[in-house]
Amino acid sequence: MQRRTFVSSALSVAFLGGNASRALAQVAGAAPVLPAFGQPDNVLVVVQMAGGNDGLNTVVPWSDDAYHRVRPAIGIPAGQVLKLDGRIGFNPALKGLNELYQRGKVALVQGVGYPNPNRSHFEATQIWETASPDRPQQYGWLGRYLDKRFSGGAKPASLFEAVSLGDMLPAALVASHVEVPAIGALGAFGYNTGRDLASKQSAGVLYDGAKAGQSPYLAMIAETARDAYHGGDVLRAQTASFTNKATYASNGFAQQLALAAKMIGSSAGSKIVFVSIGSFDTHAGQRAQQDRLLGYLGDGLLSFYTDLAAHGLDRKVLTLTFSEFGRRVTQNASNGTDHGTAMPVFLVGGAVKGGIYGEHPSLTNLDQGDLPFATDFRSVYATVIERWLGRDPSDIISGAYPMLGFV
Amino acid sequence: MMEPTVPAPQLDTSTDPQVGFRPPGALDASSALLPFGERLTTRGAAHLLRRAGFGGSQTDVERLAVLGVSGAVDSLLHPSVDEPAFTDFPDAALLYDPKKNRQAAQLWWLDRMLRTTRPLSEKMALFWHGHFATSLQKVQPAQMVGQIDLFRRQGLGRFPALLSAVTRDPAMLIWLDNRSNAKAHPNENYAREVMELFALGLGTYGEDDVREAARAFTGWTLDKTQQPVFVAARHDDGLKTVLGRTGAFGTDDVIAIIVSQPVHQRFIARKLLEFFVYSDPEPELIEALAQVYALSGADLAKTVGTILRSNVFFSPRAYRAIPKSPIELAIGTLRYIGAQSVPPNLPYQLARMGQEPLNPPSVKGWDAGPAWINTSTLLARFNFVNALVAQTAPGKNGQPALPAPNVAPDDIVRRAGMDPGRVAAAIVGGAVQDDVTSDVRVTLISYLNSATPTAGTQNPLPFGPENYQDKIRGALALTLNLPVNQLD
Repeated sequence: MQRRTFVSSALSVAFLGGNASRALAQVAGAAPVLPAFGQPDNVLVVVQMAGGNDGLNTVVPWSDDAYHRVRPAIGIPAGQVLKLDGRIGFNPALKGLNELYQRGKVALVQGVGYPNPNRSHFEATQIWETASPDRPQQYGWLGRYLDKRFSGGAKPASLFEAVSLGDMLPAALVASHVEVPAIGALGAFGYNTGRDLASKQSAGVLYDGAKAGQSPYLAMIAETARDAYHGGDVLRAQTASFTNKATYASNGFAQQLALAAKMIGSSAGSKIVFVSIGSFDTHAGQRAQQDRLLGYLGDGLLSFYTDLAAHGLDRKVLTLTFSEFGRRVTQNASNGTDHGTAMPVFLVGGAVKGGIYGEHPSLTNLDQGDLPFATDFRSVYATVIERWLGRDPSDIISGAYPMLGFV
Repeated sequence: MMEPTVPAPQLDTSTDPQVGFRPPGALDASSALLPFGERLTTRGAAHLLRRAGFGGSQTDVERLAVLGVSGAVDSLLHPSVDEPAFTDFPDAALLYDPKKNRQAAQLWWLDRMLRTTRPLSEKMALFWHGHFATSLQKVQPAQMVGQIDLFRRQGLGRFPALLSAVTRDPAMLIWLDNRSNAKAHPNENYAREVMELFALGLGTYGEDDVREAARAFTGWTLDKTQQPVFVAARHDDGLKTVLGRTGAFGTDDVIAIIVSQPVHQRFIARKLLEFFVYSDPEPELIEALAQVYALSGADLAKTVGTILRSNVFFSPRAYRAIPKSPIELAIGTLRYIGAQSVPPNLPYQLARMGQEPLNPPSVKGWDAGPAWINTSTLLARFNFVNALVAQTAPGKNGQPALPAPNVAPDDIVRRAGMDPGRVAAAIVGGAVQDDVTSDVRVTLISYLNSATPTAGTQNPLPFGPENYQDKIRGALALTLNLPVNQLD
């Protein structure tokens, strides 16, 4: 394992040119003292279910009469539910996820939330992505992890150590001094001059020959411009060696996961990958919209882990899903649901201890019509940071939260 | 119980990403803010127009240069033509269309920046938008537009009047919850940000000051038509102690107390210097500007005017010393090429570059300086310029995806004729004021002479009357994407 890390780091360094001495020094240097389970070369994929996913129609309390009472039109009949036990089961659209679950590769954490839940999409998303419900935080929870991991001037060996597979950088990945690229699509990432190849060539000459001037910014910009100019070609060269060994659907989420597998399994060497699927904001006509998206989610993850397993990587990759909030318990007048609170979180991967964690929230003991939370989301994050990524969570997540047993 | 000792408040710069990016060389603090006595060159005029506005065409720059430093700064500070109010903009009705209003508000403002005849007012509106960072995430587009209009009207007035107006601005009353701040149930959110982010800075006040100031800010709320209203019954008219002063204070009393603090004067001076002059300014320079600001009675026009006329502003250390924000880069490019309208997808493009207008990432606004620059945001800048200037991304049926004004290519040919060497010289002169080494010109000449297909032409041709516009656009894009043009 040490050797593979070294080889992929050295490859990335060779492609990118810069920072070689620092990166090599980092690989050759003393290994940090790690907690029992975590490894810095473990990979974390975070799936954002944007818009607020309705937890009750994701993990269905099929045997609870209260569920069918409050959801006469949008409730899922018990006969259709993919049953996990005598009380709960998956939405039938989650058949791909259910297959992974039956193989013991899915941990379901029920009733995840935090005190005084926020119902604004923007603010609740910020809260989940910065792990800071009480005070706005400049950097995301994964950004802070990256900053701690690469502190003291260390730089990641690969430009793609952490990536967002979308056009925008999510708040979770905003870091102080680790750069995280946002890559919408492999083909679109790069310096684009259309058919004007001479312009592309000339730009390369200009950036490679750019000289630093008096301003300290100029050297930084010139170096970043070279990385940006070459980054797309580097990424395409690095990922070319990796062939997806599973069939992915054509929807955008499945294609993001196919790219994620390439970024993880090739010399691009990505360790933190953020993908997004949505919108789960189902105020009206919920069943059709949510079921379609849950189908994409479950089938996409099944393809992803089939692919990773074929490359011998499924035990190195942990996937965590989240949404900014769950939805109200009672359906609304438009056969949808409005913004609510707690919801289930899934952890998927070959090394996951599959099963059900925590109690399903009670539908009768509600907090102002909303589900009370049972597990603080920061427990999930702290567990991932310590037991999967191998860092002390106390300097990343403010406050102490109990570890969970899913890894 | 012991009285806690209060250390003299100092500016806390520990979270400023621009620290460490001060230009090299020494500051002469004694003369830094004295008026610059030399002739205004075109390079100096371009610098002034970039910092005090959004740049312009080569002709705009030349017109400013002939006015001299004093005349040029006066023309920016006291423009003779009044501009219409926001309700006069062509698509004002769209602001109330829930499907289109967000983008309409953003385009309204970007269009203003592009076409304004009062660029410094618009630049100050951008400065205050980053300072009092309010967002569409919680506030309706029409209210955001109202707040920007307030910044445009009062952004060069006196700071206490500006802060007082911001306190009763509907967008701000919603954004930081001061509309729910009442005697019976105080809400400290606004008072805290006034002290931390708007006027004093972290570590210069205590929790008691926040709590007491929040009591003074009670009473403001919104009526049924979303207009600000002061409800006396909601106001806490008891005694408060704020920053060592005690009285039955209201909003403007607390603002006056805050503005009288030396640390406030340094706080504003530092922010203005980082925006207009260079990153991480020296404490002596901050102190000198804080004095100017205090003596002027917190008059922003006088303070900004002092900066723009000064030796330090025109010094080599301040030249190309600050990374352009994405908005400065985009509007500057559009102005330079003589565009008459902004591309409809500009808000999205700006979001990719890291600065979506009216949607700052947090109440702290945008981290400027080095935070603008990473591989993704630079690629977004480069590809924006390539698509806009070089027309590399044609739309449907072979039509350009974005408006393609020919002002810059024709302007360059008018100045330089059809000789590639003279054209390259005119491009680097006009686009980046010759701030390049000679090998850049060599590369541009070789590009102009290259016979590869360019966008919109089927046949490879050397530089000539058939393809000069494509070639010049390509060379302009290359020049505008140079690292030096990422700096203002």
